[in-house]
Amino acid sequence: MHLAYLDAGSGSLIVQAVVGGVAGAAVAAKLYWRRLVDRFRRQPTDRG
Amino acid sequence: MTSSHLGTRADPGSFRDPTNRVFHDGDQVLRGLDPQAARDWAALAASAFFAGLLAEGKVCGTAQVDPAVLPGWTAVLRHERIPFVSHPYEWSFGMLRDAALLHLEILRRALPAGFSTKDGSAYNLQWRGATPIFIDIGSFTPLTDGEPWAGYRQFCQTLLYPLLLQAHLGLDFQPWLRSRVDGIEPDQMRRLFRGARRLLPGVPTHVHLHGAMQRRHAGASSADVRAQLRSAGYSRELALATVRGLERLIRRLDHREESSHWVDYQRTCSYTAPDRVEKERFVETAVQAAGGPRLVLDLGANDGRYARIAARHAAVVVAVEQDPAVVDTLYRTLRAEGDQRILPLVMDLADPSPGGGWGGVERAGFTTRARADVVLALAVVHHLAIGRNVPLGQVVDQLLGCLRPNGRLVVEFVHPEDPMARRLLANKPDGIFPEYRRDVFERLLAARCRVERQRELPSGTRTLYQVVVGD
Ligand SMILES: C[S@@+](CC[C@H](N)C(=O)[O-])C[C@H]1O[C@@H](n2cnc3c(N)ncnc32)[C@H](O)[C@@H]1O
Repeated sequence: MHLAYLDAGSGSLIVQAVVGGVAGAAVAAKLYWRRLVDRFRRQPTDRG
Repeated sequence: MTSSHLGTRADPGSFRDPTNRVFHDGDQVLRGLDPQAARDWAALAASAFFAGLLAEGKVCGTAQVDPAVLPGWTAVLRHERIPFVSHPYEWSFGMLRDAALLHLEILRRALPAGFSTKDGSAYNLQWRGATPIFIDIGSFTPLTDGEPWAGYRQFCQTLLYPLLLQAHLGLDFQPWLRSRVDGIEPDQMRRLFRGARRLLPGVPTHVHLHGAMQRRHAGASSADVRAQLRSAGYSRELALATVRGLERLIRRLDHREESSHWVDYQRTCSYTAPDRVEKERFVETAVQAAGGPRLVLDLGANDGRYARIAARHAAVVVAVEQDPAVVDTLYRTLRAEGDQRILPLVMDLADPSPGGGWGGVERAGFTTRARADVVLALAVVHHLAIGRNVPLGQVVDQLLGCLRPNGRLVVEFVHPEDPMARRLLANKPDGIFPEYRRDVFERLLAARCRVERQRELPSGTRTLYQVVVGD
């Protein structure tokens, strides 16, 4: 997996929230929650 | 954007960030900045944290000069010249660790001032003797609040992971870095840290979680992720907490070799006191005769005894030694003294660093960089000629090849009767080195250069030569 230079890599960005203690974990949880909600919202319209 | 002003030459290792580029003009090191980079520089130059780093010598000396020197660029900086560029795979564990800590310190001081670095590479660092300095001024960028460090992945791959390999597994990291210009991928690390090793400090998060996240989000655009993280409340404080966590982790990582054959060499070697006194005097006189040399290479430097003598009269001494434990010990001693002249490097003279990266020139090989005024090769020729089977003439060529025109070589020939040479010869089939003789060595020297001085040491089994090559 070769990521371009000056491209931080999405996973490498998110993991920095996860390693940032309690506050970081809260940010990560919020991010995941929003992504999840987004996916549910999008799905019906995707099919329709 | 290029600059082809007569006499200026683009640095082959500086092209990855197109907003700025390093050029050489004689001894001058210049950096061209595009309009964006010029704006970033103006902000940086006005900041107090950067002035502090400059004053403490932690970033390379930098001043803005007339942009006319590099046509095509909006602004031009002139940098302090690094006397000998080295690569992370030539550093010892302690060196890589201190380089990593300096990178983190710079980031820790930049963040509160509203700056970050675009990358986190070990190649951002160089050395002034045994003192690390951050050289990639073009990497500083105004911080976009709410964004994690863009250099984290590179920091892991070129600094943290090699340190973990050495500290946790006892593996020498140098070959890993030498063979991969972008460092070690999380996916490779993950395979080395299975079972109970998963739980070693730094491994669960920076290796396994990091690797899992990369796999999981491989398809996501990092611009989207940045926006999502910002709106989820990622803050500057969180970025700082990550940097502090990395600093704590790296301070805890340590690695000391139990013992290696060469660590105790100066205590156990076969020199008598009169031999040593003669040899020290011979070396000091030779370096002095060079009239303030800019660069001395001490090849096979061991504990750096002669590198130190040379450093009394030279601007810079590079002490090359194959044994990483010996280099690490020398580095830690020099660093504790605050040395700014002697750079210890790990390298096998029989397998010098090749050119690497794009076109094989992005990272210059050792022979390209080695242009010394004086080369010291003391009690090392027999290791190459007998220990590594290199024909004696080729050993001499290699040593002379490290010199500038009119440079001097100070070389010690250990006679075949010497106890140390006998020990090496005992491991080889009888009589396979009929040419390893003092008269042959002298003929080889005479054919290539002029012998200015020579001296047999009192014990009678070693001879020192000071030779000069023409241009
Ligand atoms: C006999 S000691 C001499 C040390 C010092 N130059 C002196 O004169 O006291 C030889 C040193 O050369 C180093 N050495 C041997 N072969 C080498 C090689 N191929 N590349 C780099 N160093 C080497 C050894 O590790 C050792 O530290």
